Amino acid sequence: MMLRSLPILLALTSAGLAQDGGQLYTTYCSACHGADGKGATGGQFPPLAESPWVQGDPDRAIKIVLHGLNGPVEVAGRTYNLEMPPQGAAIADDQLAAILTYVRASWNNASPAVTPAMIKAAREATAGRDKPWTAPEILKLHPLPAAAPPIANLISRIYPGEWQDLPDFSKLKPINVEEEHDGLISVSHADRKELVGLVWEGQITAPKAGKFTFRLDADDCARVIVAGKKVAEVRGIGPLNGSRAKQGQIQLSAGSHPIRIEYVEFRGQEAIALAMKGPGIPGWRNLSDSPVPAEKPSLMIRPTPDRAVIYRNFIAGTTARAIGFGFPGGVNLAYSADNLAPELLWTGDFMDGGRHWVDRGQGNQPPAGERQVKLSGARALAEGARFRGYKLDPAGNPTFSVQLGEQFLLDAWKPAGSGATPALTRTLTVNGQGSPVELLVCEKLALKKTGDQDYELGDELRLQAENAAFETRDGKTYLKLSPGKPATLTYRWK
Amino acid sequence: MRHLLPSSLLCGLILSAAQAQQQSDFYTREEIPLPKGEIMELGSIALMPDKKIAVTSRRGDLWICSGAYGDDLSKVTWQKFAEGLHEPFGMFWKDGWLYLTQRPEHSRLKDSDGDGRADLFETVNSGWGINGDYHEYAFGSEPDKNGDVWIVLCLTGSGGAASDWRGWCVRVTPKGEMIPTCSGIRSPGGIGANHAGDMFYTDNQGLWNGSSSLKWLKPGSFQGNPTGNKYHKLANLPAPPQPADKSRIETERARFPEFVPPAVVFPHGKVGQSPTGIAYDSGNGKFGPWTHQLYVGEQTHSQVQRVALEKVNGLYQGAVFHFLEGFEAGLVPVRLDHEAGILFAGGTNRGWASRGTKPFTFERVRWTGKTPFEIHTMSALKDGFELTFTEPVDPATAGKPESYSMAAWTYILQSGYGSPEVDPATPKITAASVSPDGKKVRLTVDGLVKGHVHHLAAKGVTSKAGGKLWHPDAWYTLNEIPR
Repeated sequence: MMLRSLPILLALTSAGLAQDGGQLYTTYCSACHGADGKGATGGQFPPLAESPWVQGDPDRAIKIVLHGLNGPVEVAGRTYNLEMPPQGAAIADDQLAAILTYVRASWNNASPAVTPAMIKAAREATAGRDKPWTAPEILKLHPLPAAAPPIANLISRIYPGEWQDLPDFSKLKPINVEEEHDGLISVSHADRKELVGLVWEGQITAPKAGKFTFRLDADDCARVIVAGKKVAEVRGIGPLNGSRAKQGQIQLSAGSHPIRIEYVEFRGQEAIALAMKGPGIPGWRNLSDSPVPAEKPSLMIRPTPDRAVIYRNFIAGTTARAIGFGFPGGVNLAYSADNLAPELLWTGDFMDGGRHWVDRGQGNQPPAGERQVKLSGARALAEGARFRGYKLDPAGNPTFSVQLGEQFLLDAWKPAGSGATPALTRTLTVNGQGSPVELLVCEKLALKKTGDQDYELGDELRLQAENAAFETRDGKTYLKLSPGKPATLTYRWK
Repeated sequence: MRHLLPSSLLCGLILSAAQAQQQSDFYTREEIPLPKGEIMELGSIALMPDKKIAVTSRRGDLWICSGAYGDDLSKVTWQKFAEGLHEPFGMFWKDGWLYLTQRPEHSRLKDSDGDGRADLFETVNSGWGINGDYHEYAFGSEPDKNGDVWIVLCLTGSGGAASDWRGWCVRVTPKGEMIPTCSGIRSPGGIGANHAGDMFYTDNQGLWNGSSSLKWLKPGSFQGNPTGNKYHKLANLPAPPQPADKSRIETERARFPEFVPPAVVFPHGKVGQSPTGIAYDSGNGKFGPWTHQLYVGEQTHSQVQRVALEKVNGLYQGAVFHFLEGFEAGLVPVRLDHEAGILFAGGTNRGWASRGTKPFTFERVRWTGKTPFEIHTMSALKDGFELTFTEPVDPATAGKPESYSMAAWTYILQSGYGSPEVDPATPKITAASVSPDGKKVRLTVDGLVKGHVHHLAAKGVTSKAGGKLWHPDAWYTLNEIPR
């Protein structure tokens, strides 16, 4: 009863302020956070409704509004990677106070009003700050209020053993049993980091009757059982990065229900993440100490069986002006238009667009496949050489063009093998009259001659070179190319 | 008798409903169907021969649309022309090539073997830096009268310039040379020329930019944000101004003659939050009577604003009016087909939210032939403003100073993000005289403030026919007072 009447009281108080917080919220905030506080465009932006970020200690929200927030932030079980612009220099104290008072008393939020004096004090306390906060920075100053343990009466059991899948734990004896008072499942409490199984048991609460969704991800495998029914399962060995996450649903009555989580770590990294959502729970409720990776779809970019595909965005391991080509048969190339050189070759999957095609797309995305080879990372041609673009043949295979004064260097690529015997063929031609052109072919990779035209290139590749004479100095290997005398290099994975 | 009062109220409601002007009376906004299953977050729109339209997506696809001019939009067809482009913002068709400004370069592409897909991708110029930061956008114009393309280069993040020429406008000539042209840029959302061929861009509220605005790219000018100043050294250019922090544009431009103030400030929150693409009206009357005015897209509010510019004492300035709204996503590119009188607009709200709730959109707007009752232009006088209207006004209301109100303010020029409205003033409208034809009103104003935004609200003005203004507000940026 007390809790229910609180928002109404607060609403009455805020009505007495000179500034109209609701109106100001609509003007300055609602485009992103939504008129209903749930985050614009179906929750693509962080919700404020029932968010602990805006409730409790007012300084957390005040300081974020004053200076902005940059980078990944977890709200209601989802990670957002956006940039909230600072408002401190643009909006006056009384208006900011009115906006925050409105936010803290709307949409089931029930926290006390914010006064202009609080804004002023926070301004003074952070006067030296000239850049947005990151989530860890602000949480260090103003932690989120401790929530009630999401899993009541949580108990963990540890089972040492070597498994690559989930064993029948009912036939095994734990070496240790612990109570977990924070109610969060966590691998960090176990006394070992590999060759281990863990089982947790406790009770979760369904605030209302209805269908509940559980989202589970693990490194390596895990299973969640709610009210005696298996709801989601991640099998086999692999990383926790969202790519293997599984979801399942179950109908629950309002009230408490038993939950059991089984988990196995083989070797290497270890982690588990579990969250639930459903009636009465805003967003996702974390049941583990690490959040479930955002439901960021894997947007794998694939060639068609008869045509290469292009990806032009920031590719990790090469330069900003890289152009990726994924050829049919699982051979791939990233050409740097900065360094005028093919810098990365790899096999298998081409590129995942999930990073750059979701939210604002910050950062460099590594190639998706395997057996990556970095041929070089320096400029391949003399100063003055200019990238002039590329031409595609009917199969989408590129010929990159570089201008060197009156000459053009044409660098043509096509697949020369696929599947178990992946290979790429490169034909280099200098057009026009003039002196030979020297270009960098590889660096920091051992080039060992094994036959007339055959070489080993590092650990991964064999190189077949026709009409090509190499010269190695200072760890860099160059090819001298005379006008009108093309050279052909075939890169074949061992 | 009992029914008398309610029914008379009802009559009143019907009457006022009949008088209220609605967008659909004047402009028809329609969604153009997009290729099924494709993520068409539009960044560029180019008009092509044979009533085809090319668009690019932020994911880097280029599609060509047929049927976007037709009466039956269900007959629209699409053809994928290219993929793997780097987030292009700016495209035009010329002599058989599609030219586009991609993040890392200005390029052109063409289908040389006639199979319907681009196979030649030529780099025209890549003279500016990028380093992988998502914020380092590049927006390119259509060619100017010399064939040069103007490109505005967004800063690195909100407040850095980590790559060459960030914070500058460069021109790329048809020969592929790059000419650094203006400094002081923060975060552009679009670029386009006016009817006279002068180039403008929109810059978003943030550091050293108190409110979003439309700015004139006068060659050699400084636009207000000094973050990228250092790159003048790369081309042996004079150092751009370093304005004082927490100052005013009016103060700093007195110190630095090359500091060109925003032509029109779009007061933050009131007019919009993120202005974008720019299209000018050719004056042929195909899209309404807005001769030589600019249409400016708005991402956050999913709108198109209308801008009436004039040149006073050598500087551009003028008024912004609300115009079209209700677009389905945040608008970025806008293109006006002058001959057909169709405004094409594309949008996306990925990464930046918008009132329009769809993740992306492609739309067209056509004029119905009916003109709304609006303030047509607002221009500065030595002692006030002259308003023109789209139809004769009622001298009884328009001739009364009380039918108008005015407030003025400016913004802090500062290294902090944005600015509150400061230095408020209340210029007093002392007289309003209506021209004999009823299409002009001369406002005599006591207390104009040079450099301030002057917000005019003409809420009491009615037309001769008794109608109210569709949009009674205008925001005029008074950089210069006519001598």
